[in-house]
This record gives sequence, C-alpha cells and structure tokens, in this order.
Amino acid sequence: MTAVAAPPAATGRVRRPEVAGVVQPRLPRAPRRLAALGVAIAVLFAAPMGFLVVRTAGLGGDTVLETLTDDALTPLLWSLGLGAAVALSAAAIGVGLAWCTTRTDLPGRRAAAVLGPLPLVVPSYVGAAALVAGFAPGGLVADLVSPLGITPPEIGGFWGAWFVLSAFSYPYVYLPVAARLAELPPSLEESARLLGRGPRQVFTSVVLPQARTAVAAGTLLVFLYTISDFGAVSIMGAPTLTNEIFQAKLVPELWLPLASLLGAVALVVVAAERALARRRVAVSGVQVRRAMQVPLGRWRWPVALVVWGWFGAALAAPVLVLVLWVVRGVLGAGSPSATVLAPGGLLAPAASTVGVSVAAALATMALVLPVAYLTVRYRSRAGGTANTVVVGAFALPGLVVALALVFWTLKADALAWLYQTIPLLVFAYTVHFGAQGLRAAQVAVGSVPTRFDDAGAVLGASRSRRLRTIDLPLMARGLGAGLGLVLLSAMKELPATLLLAPPGFETLATRIWAASDSHQLAQLGVASLVLLALSGPLTWVLVIRPGRRR
Amino acid sequence: MLGAAGVVLVLCTAVLAACSSGDDNKVVVYSGRSTDLIKPVLDRFAAETGISVDFKQGDSADLALTIEQEGERSPADVFISQSPGATAYLDDKGLLRPLPQSTLDRVAAEDRAGDGNWVGLSGRVRVLVYNTDLVSPDDLPATVEELTGAAYQGKVGMAPTNGSFQDFVSAMRISEGDDATTAWLEGMAANDVKTYANNNAVVDAVIRGEVPMGLANHYYLLRALEDDPDAPAANHVFADDVGSVEIVSTASVLAGAQHTPQAERLVDFLLSDETQRYFADETFEYPVVAGVPPAATVPELAAEQVLRVDFDELGSEFASTVTMIRDAGLTR
Repeated sequence: MTAVAAPPAATGRVRRPEVAGVVQPRLPRAPRRLAALGVAIAVLFAAPMGFLVVRTAGLGGDTVLETLTDDALTPLLWSLGLGAAVALSAAAIGVGLAWCTTRTDLPGRRAAAVLGPLPLVVPSYVGAAALVAGFAPGGLVADLVSPLGITPPEIGGFWGAWFVLSAFSYPYVYLPVAARLAELPPSLEESARLLGRGPRQVFTSVVLPQARTAVAAGTLLVFLYTISDFGAVSIMGAPTLTNEIFQAKLVPELWLPLASLLGAVALVVVAAERALARRRVAVSGVQVRRAMQVPLGRWRWPVALVVWGWFGAALAAPVLVLVLWVVRGVLGAGSPSATVLAPGGLLAPAASTVGVSVAAALATMALVLPVAYLTVRYRSRAGGTANTVVVGAFALPGLVVALALVFWTLKADALAWLYQTIPLLVFAYTVHFGAQGLRAAQVAVGSVPTRFDDAGAVLGASRSRRLRTIDLPLMARGLGAGLGLVLLSAMKELPATLLLAPPGFETLATRIWAASDSHQLAQLGVASLVLLALSGPLTWVLVIRPGRRR
Repeated sequence: MLGAAGVVLVLCTAVLAACSSGDDNKVVVYSGRSTDLIKPVLDRFAAETGISVDFKQGDSADLALTIEQEGERSPADVFISQSPGATAYLDDKGLLRPLPQSTLDRVAAEDRAGDGNWVGLSGRVRVLVYNTDLVSPDDLPATVEELTGAAYQGKVGMAPTNGSFQDFVSAMRISEGDDATTAWLEGMAANDVKTYANNNAVVDAVIRGEVPMGLANHYYLLRALEDDPDAPAANHVFADDVGSVEIVSTASVLAGAQHTPQAERLVDFLLSDETQRYFADETFEYPVVAGVPPAATVPELAAEQVLRVDFDELGSEFASTVTMIRDAGLTR
C-alpha cells in the first residue's frame, strides 16, 4: 500500500477548478431517513457476527478464554501474515493489469480486459488442486518440462497458499481500479505530460493518487478474502484461523471462539482502514469518451510478455490441467464418468447458477448503495458502523454465514417459511459478498461530482429522479465493477449453496464439489470449464460493455 | 438492467413454485454422500414406493452442524453420513432415534449402533496406498505401528485433518487405548510424515511419486484408477491390524423426523441387496449386508483380515480425537 501514498499535490497543480482535489473541510450531516436505512441494513448484515456472539457466549467464559489462550495465537499470525502478503501482491497485480488494459497499447488489451476478472470465478480449492496436479513432482506440467531439464518449484505451505490466493483474488483490485481508471478524465494526464512529466511520473503522481480509493477498496477485500478462505489453505497446508476452524468443526469449544476471533480481527481491520483512509474527495469522473493512451514503445512486447505470461500461469495453467482431466476422462470412455460428460446434465445447474448469481449481484448493489452514500457523502456514525459490519462480514467463511442464517431464520416463526428457499440463498450471498459491492459502490459514489446533484436539486428534481438521471448513469462503471465482483463470487460459492438452497437445487459449484468428492476429475473439469465459459460473457455483458457504451 | 432484474425475479418465482410441492408422502434426506453416488438409488426408491425424496447433499460434518442448528425445526428425516464421527456428534446430542430391529438385523452387530440409533451402509477399509514404481511389496509394513520406524521416515503421507483419518484414530483409541494412540500420532509426527488436505490429495501424491506411500480409505485409489488405469499405485491391507480397520458410512433417522415411516422405509431400502450391490459397484465400497459380494475390482477380504471396532464405545469422546491429533502436532 505504501506505493499508493504518493504525493497528492500533483492534482492541485493542475489549474482546472473542477478537478482540483481539495480536502472537503466538513461533510454535511446525514439525512435522518438515510441514516435509519443505514442502521437497518447494518442489522441485516450483522447476522453472522451476531450468531457467533450468541453461540460463543453460550460456551461460557472459561472455555472461550482457554481456547483463545491455548489455540489461537499461531493460526492468528498465519492469517494476518498470509492476508497481508496476498493483499500486497494482489494490489500490485491488480493495479498493473488495470493500467495496462486501460491506458496502454498493450497487444490484446481488449481480450485481457475480459480475461482479467475471470480467475475470481475459479473455486480456490479447484485452482489449488489444479496447480498442485500441474506443478507438484510428477505432475502434468512437471512431466511436460522435465525433458527440458526444468524442475518446477514445489507448491505448498505459506508460499503455495500465497501464490494461489494472489492468482485468484487480484480481480478484487483489478475490477474497481480498471473501472476508476476508465473514467478518469485524460486531461489530467495530458496536462502532466505537457508539463514535461514522463509516463512513469504521470503514473505515480497522477494516476495512482486518483485510483487510490479504488486500490484501497480492493486490497482490503483481498485481505478479508484471504483470511476467510478454506479451499486453498487446506490444500496448500497453511494453518490459518479458518483452516483450524474447519478442522475443529465438530468441536464447538474450539471452532466457535476461533471464528469469533476471526470476526473480531475483521472488524478491527475494517474500522482501522476507514479511520486511516484520508477522506480526500477524488477527481470526478465525467463522460469520458476516450482515455489517454500511453504508447509502451520498446516496452510494448516485454510488457505483453509479462501480462500474457501472468494469464498463462494464473488462468491458462489451471485451465490446461482441467482440459487434460476432461480429455483423459473422455479417452477412458466406458467408465461412468463418460456418461456425465453429456453436456445436457449441466444445463439446469448452469441456468440455476446464472439465475441466483445475477439476482444476488443486483440485490447486493441495491442494498449497499444507501450505505455507500451514507459513508461517502455524509458525516454519519451510522454509516461508519454499517461500513464496518458489511465489510467485516466478508472475512467469515461461507459455512459460518450459512449456519448463522439457519440460526436466525428458524429462530423466528415469521421467518421460518424462508428457510431453504431461493430468496434466503440470495440473501446469504448478499450478506457474504456485500463487502465487494459496497467497496465498489463507495468508489463509484465518490467519483460523482455533487455539483450536478446540487444543480438538479435547485431545479426542483426529486431525490429519486436525481439518483436515476444524474448519479446512476455516472456511476455505471463503478457499480458494474461491484456487480461483477459479487456475481463471480456468488457463481462459485459452495457451503451456503449446499446448506441453504432448496433440496435438489444444484449449481455448477455444487456439481464441481460432487465430482471432486467422488474423484471424478473429468466431470470436475467439465463443470469448471462451463463455469469459466459462462463467466466470460457475463462479465462482458454486465461489467465491461455498459462502461464502453457510454 | 431492470429488464434483467425482472427476468431473474420471474425465474426465482418459478423455481420456488416448483420446489414447494405440498406433498406429504415424502422423505427429506441430508446426505454426506454426493449426488453422483446416491441419486440413482433414491430415484429408484421413489419409483418403487411412490414416496418422493427431497435430497440435500453436503459435507457430512457440515450437515450434522446444520441439523444441530435447525433443532426442532429441522426438515431432515434421514441423515446419511460418510463418517461415524458426524453421526456420533448428533447421537450424543440426542437427535437420532432408534431404527426398527428388522432393519438393524440386516447387518452384523459391529456395523450398527448398540442403541440402534444408526446402521452401517457400506464398509470402507483403511489401507496403505503405495507407488508400485517406488516401493517393492516386500518392503511394506505388516502393521501401521511400523510406520513410525526409521525405515519409513519422510516416506508416508496422510490427511490428519480429514474426517476419515479422524475416524481411523478414533478406532485406534478403541482398539489400542489412548496412550498407544497418542504415542503413534507423536511417532508419525516425529517421523516427518507428509500431510495432505484429504484422501484424494494423498492418493494423487502417491500416484505422482511425490511421496512413496500414504494412508487412505481403500476406494480412493480404485476411483483414481478408473480415471487413469495406468497409475502406478496399489492398495496394501494391514491384515488384522488397526491400520486396516473397517469404518462404516452410516444411515440414521432423526428424532424430530416428520416422515418417520417413509424414513425408516428408505433406510431399509438402502440395505436391500440391490442397493448394496449398487454401492459396491459404483463406489467400490464393501457391502455391509451378508451375501452381497464387493465389486469385481475390489479385493475380497476375509473377515479375519479386517479389524472391526465398536464405534459406540467412544460415545461423546469422539470430539477429543480432534484434540489428540492437534496436540500431537499433526496439522495441515
């Protein structure tokens, strides 16, 4: 993150009043109704934390204290260390890739823009298993390159988990940053160039400071995602808090206090990040028809090599392993796996996956938008609390979110009818992934100039009309990024889907799990490839195209 | 965007409507055995009996936690568990009810609960999977205890945090006692055992040659061989040793079941010869019902070769197995 704290003065030097990055002296107080809405939303998102508090308190203080003193320290350090390491590298990859696809003449940048977010849809355990199968001694890739005298590095432990999680979570940074860069007026960068700054200086003194909120938003998400992950850390053997929680599932005296600790860590980190973030109002994005392009010159092909090499390692290598599994399964026809290779078996799960994920993405954005306004436009304690609760919930594993919703739904007669219905599943996704939508929405709200809204108000337009005709169109890119993040995350979600969906409801993620459970790698490969193939067009339609059309 | 939202709404309503059929002649199954491996059986049950089946799959322990959390309102009637540990968790909380004697009598006494609260569904035998390129059969140990010896230092893989390993350690506690079990766990840790996330990962690592041998359930290799028949690996059974103890998957009816007759009928159906043969052929597990042979590719094991323990003996002590494994320093 240090790289982001570049001198912000650069924007001040550009003499154009509407882009002056001034520190607003004091934000106005929040309207009462909006604050109340924020509190109500915070209560909804507090469901998982509340569940942990109730269940952990039920264990008694002595038990909790014993677990926390005896069993918590090492896993806690692992979680913090891994979370920080992954956050740093994902930030670097995300920012670099976003800059390359939005600002340069990188060969194949359009394709890169579509491929960029896709690793997010690969379930971490599938990605980790594919990487292990590929690179481990005797693995597929190792066999391929061993005649050349190359021994690929063994993947495992801290660095194995770090690599897998970085490779599959950088889109949390990439999507919001790319959305932000795409809407930055090129005038700033052009002015800086005219004033004699080189491309590198322009990047550090103009681009980075303007993308800072987006980078911070994504980096925090990566940290929280990392400490919540079970799939990659279990396969790589990283004893983080979440790994310990899952291992002790049937021992409530162990897992409940550890899960509460995980939640507490998340709340502290989120609150601290908010306190540290200087509330500088960023440059407003106005209708940008064309972004500035930096010719890479002699660096064009080396950069292309790095970018496409990265896609090769993070996306193509696991996909190649998946394809090999499928091919092996098809060639070994006659085995039961061949029967399920018939694509018809995946139609219903694919349709279900798209249906619930799109619903979850839309519901999430609608629910977090008021909180985004509350936190960005106003001074409000309710906003701060809602931000902490919504974002913090992302650090809890999906299993905890699912159990929490079982707990709360069945506690109240009035809610019991919701149990194991699609709306509850969509709500579970919303609670679990609300953080992604909120962080993206905050970036979006922050980049809309309030003066348009003021002008609309003076002209007598109602609040909802102003939102519809002024803010929403201007925020399309930023909100699209949030939509995309939630969508891709929901598409791969497993534990809540298994536990909260109506009986018999199958998604591609549950098909992948079932295939992995019965070690039918060919089916696992097919379902994973279908999941990837679906996410590409969906990302294009929902995230990238709306931004382009404007 | 609004159009998309409308479409989604209609879709959700349609799915919802399809799911809430007000049918009372049904049974709700929570199954740790995934769809691929059990759905055909449930479909056949529905066709033969006219009882419709609501099916929820998931990790056995996750489902046990869910049933516990659901409490009195649990919609579940039948719990199919891949692990006696998850079953014992629910039994310990009084959430299971005794099965009819006629159902229990279909299996041997070792393969069912003393209180009749669960019945074995299929047998899994713990084995040592070894890489046939790297290990000669002559060098294989006769007992799992030998794996703590110098000859096997750094050569053994296992999945200490996996449910089936935990069940195996529970079995060892029953047959050898807690002290011997702790000594074995610590001996393995001191002998540089390589740890993996689960049985599949152990078997894959052995096939790749990353580790010469590893502890797993017998059918994981057989499934892997189905995918890749040329894989250089074989199962080694520790004859009459706790290393190759039989661990059953279980079926039970919940205390709060709302469709008890249907639930009991389903459990009985799962123990019919035909279903047992299906499990044997599709999942390579050992049938628990006498007279049903295992699949052709599965080695027949004489009764005296396989050790069986009475899992009831651990009762609520099951949970402490997890702690023993952790305390021995075996984590993943």
